[in-house]
Amino acid sequence: MQAAQVIMVTGAHAAALAVKSARVDVVPGYPITPQTSIMEALAAMVENDELDARFIPVEGEHSALVAAVAASAAGARVFTATSANGLLYMHEVLHMASGGRLPVVMCNVNRGIFAPWTLWADHQDSFAQRDTGWIQYHCSSNQEVFNTILQAFRVAEQVNIPVMVNFDGFAISHCLMPLTVPPQEDIDRFLPPYQPEWRLDPAHPSSFSNVTNAPEYAVFRQMLSRDILASIPLVKQAAQEYKDITGMWDGDTIDTYRLEDAEVVALAVNSMAAELRLSIDILREQGIKAGLLRPRLILPFPAEDIMEALPRNAQVMVLDRNYNFGHNGGILASELKSALFGRRSDITVKNRVMGIGGLDLTRRFMAAEIRAMMDE
Amino acid sequence: MLEIRINGFGGQGSVTLSHLLAQAALENGEHGQALPFFGVERRGAPVRAAVRMSPTTIFAHSQCDLPDYVVVMSEKLVEAAVSEGISESGTVIVNAPHPIAVENHPTWQVDADTIAREAGLISGDGPLINIPLFGAVCRVLNIPPRIVEQTILNKWPNNNVKRNLGAAGKAYYTVTRISM
Repeated sequence: MQAAQVIMVTGAHAAALAVKSARVDVVPGYPITPQTSIMEALAAMVENDELDARFIPVEGEHSALVAAVAASAAGARVFTATSANGLLYMHEVLHMASGGRLPVVMCNVNRGIFAPWTLWADHQDSFAQRDTGWIQYHCSSNQEVFNTILQAFRVAEQVNIPVMVNFDGFAISHCLMPLTVPPQEDIDRFLPPYQPEWRLDPAHPSSFSNVTNAPEYAVFRQMLSRDILASIPLVKQAAQEYKDITGMWDGDTIDTYRLEDAEVVALAVNSMAAELRLSIDILREQGIKAGLLRPRLILPFPAEDIMEALPRNAQVMVLDRNYNFGHNGGILASELKSALFGRRSDITVKNRVMGIGGLDLTRRFMAAEIRAMMDE
Repeated sequence: MLEIRINGFGGQGSVTLSHLLAQAALENGEHGQALPFFGVERRGAPVRAAVRMSPTTIFAHSQCDLPDYVVVMSEKLVEAAVSEGISESGTVIVNAPHPIAVENHPTWQVDADTIAREAGLISGDGPLINIPLFGAVCRVLNIPPRIVEQTILNKWPNNNVKRNLGAAGKAYYTVTRISM
């Protein structure tokens, strides 16, 4: 049996290696900073015959996702990636993929949105696609990006719903870290070949996503809503089985740190949530019983798991790297409050927006912010 | 966890230097992280990169605002680099042709320009100083010479091997503690 390999790679390269390990069939791609290095790596793998897939260069992100939708409908395992305005340009096609029940997996490398231009990370891009019917993971390390892409393909193909795997531009995508690559035979055991229940086939002509009357349309939408919620146990099962096979664990719908006895709970996603572990240690040294709750899944929102994990009477400090325009604060806080309303009156929720456009979020800064929020 | 910030000018090879250091940490049995700051890149503009080394998993992803070591790739940047932030007892490692001491901080100096030129490590932009600087920083961090060699050989197995190893070794043994 082969042993796992540890190599030094960037988050973007880790993503490309996971896609290769998933043995994808089709990769449509269009470059946008900071995602471009994923597509460059995949294009090189196809060119060097390391990856037996069709790479389709296209003229824009809208076409990239249309090509992904078409290939998926033809029964292929498909991956693409984008960032920021590229994701916004895909907006219409995001609905086409979810409504068409096509298990495309896409990385969105989080980047602030134009205008004005910024290259660096915040989470406005992915959170702005909350209502498109995609399952959304948010990852906090290179290793988690690798692990999650494999879990994403599995879940997507079980429920026939596309999955977006999000991680921060530069802080993860261009960050060189050790990556454990499990033996291919283990990955193949975790993620068997895609066997679509149905596919477009010229030998047996059929059509899909045709015009519907209200009674059919409403049923399709109702099934999509139901099946997105039904993905939660499958997300947990994928995380558990991935752990059983590879020994690696990033959490399932949520990840926690020093949470059991916490009175003050920080809640955040992506790379800032990794750094927050160090802020929690700082606060603990100052005598504050602090803990971390990091949702890996933000859609479907893991309300039950969060509710179960939150200690009694906790003050939850939601650190949002996005704006919920029209409200005072961010979207994560709004999601959390909506889950808690009428169910956990013992919990207090406080919220700050920070790190917009890549503003550096240090462990000391976030510990100080949490202290200041305690006094509010 | 040990934190290092590299301050240099675009074109001096700070990204590669950060990658070499993170790789050396892995070769040395630790965890390593290289996190270059990518701006709107221009040759000659000030650039920086964060590097972390730790016996355990690294969770930090910020830019090293108060590092334990600041590596300054040009003596023109010493003041700006230190004023960007350094831990109270942080050490400064400067590439300069003559001894330089930074007030209140232990300072090491190495003449990476001359070492690179003498080793024949020169590109169109000037001497390739990141390779000697890699050797010098490893010496200051007490990373063994065999790790320096292994890291360079892994990165460039067939390319300029003798020159790279010569320049890194020369810097390793000539980097000098100037103060404290």
